Amino acid sequence: MAETTPNGAKAEIGPFDRVQLRRRRDRAAANFNAHSFLLDEVSLRLTERLDDIKRSFPLAVDLGCHDGRLARHLSGRSGIKRLVQCDISRALVSEAKGPYRVVADEEWLPFAGERLDLIISALSLHWVNDLPGALIQIRRALRPDGLFLAAMLGGDSLTELRQALVRGESELQGGISPRIAPFVEIRDLGALLQRAGFALPVVDSDTITVTYPDALALMRDLRGMGENNILRARQRHFTRRSTLFTAAEHYREMFGDVEGRIPATFQVLYLAGWSPHASQQQALKPGSGEMNLAEALNGET
Amino acid sequence: MNDTSAGVDPKLLEILVCPVSKEPLRYDAENQELISDKAKLAYPIRDGIPIMLPDEARTLDND
Repeated sequence: MAETTPNGAKAEIGPFDRVQLRRRRDRAAANFNAHSFLLDEVSLRLTERLDDIKRSFPLAVDLGCHDGRLARHLSGRSGIKRLVQCDISRALVSEAKGPYRVVADEEWLPFAGERLDLIISALSLHWVNDLPGALIQIRRALRPDGLFLAAMLGGDSLTELRQALVRGESELQGGISPRIAPFVEIRDLGALLQRAGFALPVVDSDTITVTYPDALALMRDLRGMGENNILRARQRHFTRRSTLFTAAEHYREMFGDVEGRIPATFQVLYLAGWSPHASQQQALKPGSGEMNLAEALNGET
Repeated sequence: MNDTSAGVDPKLLEILVCPVSKEPLRYDAENQELISDKAKLAYPIRDGIPIMLPDEARTLDND
């Protein structure tokens, strides 16, 4: 966890260890198919949202492409002629099929200014430390009137697991450690998009509930997705197995259904914003009205 | 090393810049690297995939 890169390019700050993230995704690549349910579902929903926008996007970037799953959903749609697939994990990018592949970090975008018609991202931006900075880089890479459309996990994700772990840890270890990523909250996102210079920002969310035989299966699936905890503040030693088993029991007690399965809730936040362009609808500048309000109210003109 | 040079599409190279300096890159086909003269970094291309990560880049000497 070096605070600077070998090149001294940047001191890593923030809760997420990006090197660790890359390793986890690299490790997940070989067997990603078995754990891609959530990404598949979100990719489908994201594609449907793109379909609703009657525009064509000849040059597009899939930011955080994993194994190229979103590309399979996108193929032949929305007028995309070239899709650049990039991910921080080389092993995952290598799994993706397509002529335009790049290993890239969302915090260090390697794209020239104002060239892209679309940047689309499925379940990757919640691991970014500097989200405002990433959003600014995204906006700058878009052509005027280019679209940014993304889905990321939100703060209400995995609430059941959090509660179960808190109980398990306080019971066995006499304290709790930060374990699940501090996801972004939906209420912050609109303002972030606006501050990054996006026009017509829209943010909304939906919830996907997945059931598992038990909490350990959920944790295995998270690991398989490369989504397990990469918290910088994580404990140095491995979590004791006893803690995990205790947490799994609490999980079942608190949330288990009659058949003994447990639900896991994922909150998916959707973001959309446009790179500003003169043709877009905009609010008038204050004071630019040509009609006197009093006259309007009196019905006199 | 040269046998992979056909792998990088020129259309991809067209839109790539150095992630640190955001300046254009020079394509070194022989060494399969994308070179940022300004940031003095060389980004490797492996199996036709540019690795645009600052901490994986080779630092260039000053000469």
